[in-house]
Amino acid sequence: MHERRLAHVYGWLLLLPAAVLLVAFTHYPTVATLYDSLFSTATRLRPSTFVGLDNYRALGADPVFWQVVQNNFWFAVGTVPASIALAIAMALWVNGRLPGRALVRMAYFTPTVLPMIAVANIWLFFYTPEIGLLDKLVAAFGGSSHNWLGDPSTVLTCIIAMTIWKEAGFFMIFYLAALQSISPELREAATVEGASRWYYFRRILFPLLMPTTLFVLINALINAFKLVDHLFILTKGGPDNASNLLLYYIYEAAFSFFDTAYAATLTAVLLGFLAVMAVSQFFLFDRRIHYR
Amino acid sequence: MSDIVLKGVSKHYGSVRAVDDISFEAAAGSFLVLLGPSGCGKSTALRLIAGLEEPTAGRVLIAGRDVTRDPPSQRHVSMVFQSYALFPHLDVGENIVFGLKVRRVAAAERHRRLERVAELVGLDGLLDRRPAQLSGGQRQRVALARAIIAENAVCLMDEPLSNLDAQLRHEMRVEIRALQQRLGMTVVYVTHDQIEAMSMADRIILLREGRVEQSGEPEALYARPSSAFAARFIGTPPMNILRLAAVDGGAGIRGAANGRLVDGPADALLLGIRPEAIRIVERGGLPAEVVSVDYHGADTVVTTRVGDEPLMLRVSGHFPAGRRGAIRIGWDAAAAHVFDAKTGNRREEFHAFAPPA
Repeated sequence: MHERRLAHVYGWLLLLPAAVLLVAFTHYPTVATLYDSLFSTATRLRPSTFVGLDNYRALGADPVFWQVVQNNFWFAVGTVPASIALAIAMALWVNGRLPGRALVRMAYFTPTVLPMIAVANIWLFFYTPEIGLLDKLVAAFGGSSHNWLGDPSTVLTCIIAMTIWKEAGFFMIFYLAALQSISPELREAATVEGASRWYYFRRILFPLLMPTTLFVLINALINAFKLVDHLFILTKGGPDNASNLLLYYIYEAAFSFFDTAYAATLTAVLLGFLAVMAVSQFFLFDRRIHYR
Repeated sequence: MSDIVLKGVSKHYGSVRAVDDISFEAAAGSFLVLLGPSGCGKSTALRLIAGLEEPTAGRVLIAGRDVTRDPPSQRHVSMVFQSYALFPHLDVGENIVFGLKVRRVAAAERHRRLERVAELVGLDGLLDRRPAQLSGGQRQRVALARAIIAENAVCLMDEPLSNLDAQLRHEMRVEIRALQQRLGMTVVYVTHDQIEAMSMADRIILLREGRVEQSGEPEALYARPSSAFAARFIGTPPMNILRLAAVDGGAGIRGAANGRLVDGPADALLLGIRPEAIRIVERGGLPAEVVSVDYHGADTVVTTRVGDEPLMLRVSGHFPAGRRGAIRIGWDAAAAHVFDAKTGNRREEFHAFAPPA
């Protein structure tokens, strides 16, 4: 009896470091955020009071919030499928016999290794009017100069292009690992049976890559809602909120306007959003995916 | 008519000659085995027939048509892979009809053939399972079914039984051979297992370091091996190959005080005798020292020493314990083979003699 209790104590002690970290940095902030979103922001004159769902009502009436949500939707639609498709294509290419294969693989992975701020600075140069790379290219073909990041109609596309460039190389690594675990005899068996490369990809390779695709898809979607660092350097969400995304909007609310209650409300909405997405993906796809 | 012909086919990878100028034919409806140790080029030869590799030199003909540069899909061959190469996400039925779907065979026809083939290989009732839910033997049957459903005249098999246990291997040997004869397929079968080769083949091509060492019917390879390599590769335990020393009028076993066994120069020749051709005699013969006894049930392999040379013999049943130590052995002159010591080739011009009676 005594020994069993001792074993329990040991067990909990072993769990303690991980549990403390998890509670302190994940569970407590989540609960606190939800709690805070039900209170008004404290000012020097008025202390924080319970306001129920008032913050959520204000959110629903905020046109900027809806624009940000819309931006984020298009941002996700623009980046996720494109970066996944590109990642598969690159992985297939560097998985084959290829001179200088290691070099190509490394080149693809470089955008992931670079610090986000450095990446944003490089692309800032690309997009600069008159002297930027993009404008130089356009000029070479006789086009006129354009302020890519200053125009609400092009700014989001510019951010999307840069994000695809950055994400695809990272996702490629996962696909490459998955491809290398697939026996080359499967391709040979399909070839002997008369399957074309496309048929083999569609019926064999792609289904076998589905577990990787699900993993990458979830990561890509979460990343699409987490993008914030590039916006600091490139646009600060502008012009006219045309490139403002959810997380940046939360940052603005919390640290520019010091409206902590509104930031908490936004965060709660974002969290709910991500949770619903992750859960629904697993329920939607899990049954149809073959895990080895 | 020959279904498959290889004419002077080579496959070089840089300076490595995986297959080096080999030629052979497989008659239509016959069972041809490519036999050899690992790295002898037998799998590469098979892949050259399948079109998975392109030869460096030479020509490959299937059903009289030159297919040397044709892709695998145009050669009308089926293949069974060593790892089975089943598609893990498709169920058994889908795996089997994969090739038919590729070739857009109508669904009704697919279904009809699937039922027939599944019954033929004993897979009915398992068609909805995934490969991971099958045993090794069942997976083997799926791979087999996928190969025969196309109804191609030629079927290539790359060590299909090497992942099975001994009992199952025996059953599948019988089944594959029966299936081949029933369907009249031309089978080219790669293996390193000489028992598979001996029991299934109409003809064996024995390969060594990318070249054909010997080809012929199993009985011919066993009875008249063309080299010491062929002699030792076929038969278990392998043939005894003995070094010789000069004696009066010829050569005898090295280190043994005995008479003439071969009428040729001692240092240029080797003497080969199969363990099962040696018998224990009461008097006469050669003196041998028993070193170890390996009891197999139906027979016993006795390792002895004759002069300087180790010599194995096979006796039926149990080897009586009382007879350990010194024994006397003999064999018939016809059971002895003479090989060249340098090249290993068979030397017919010299004669072997039986030990004195």
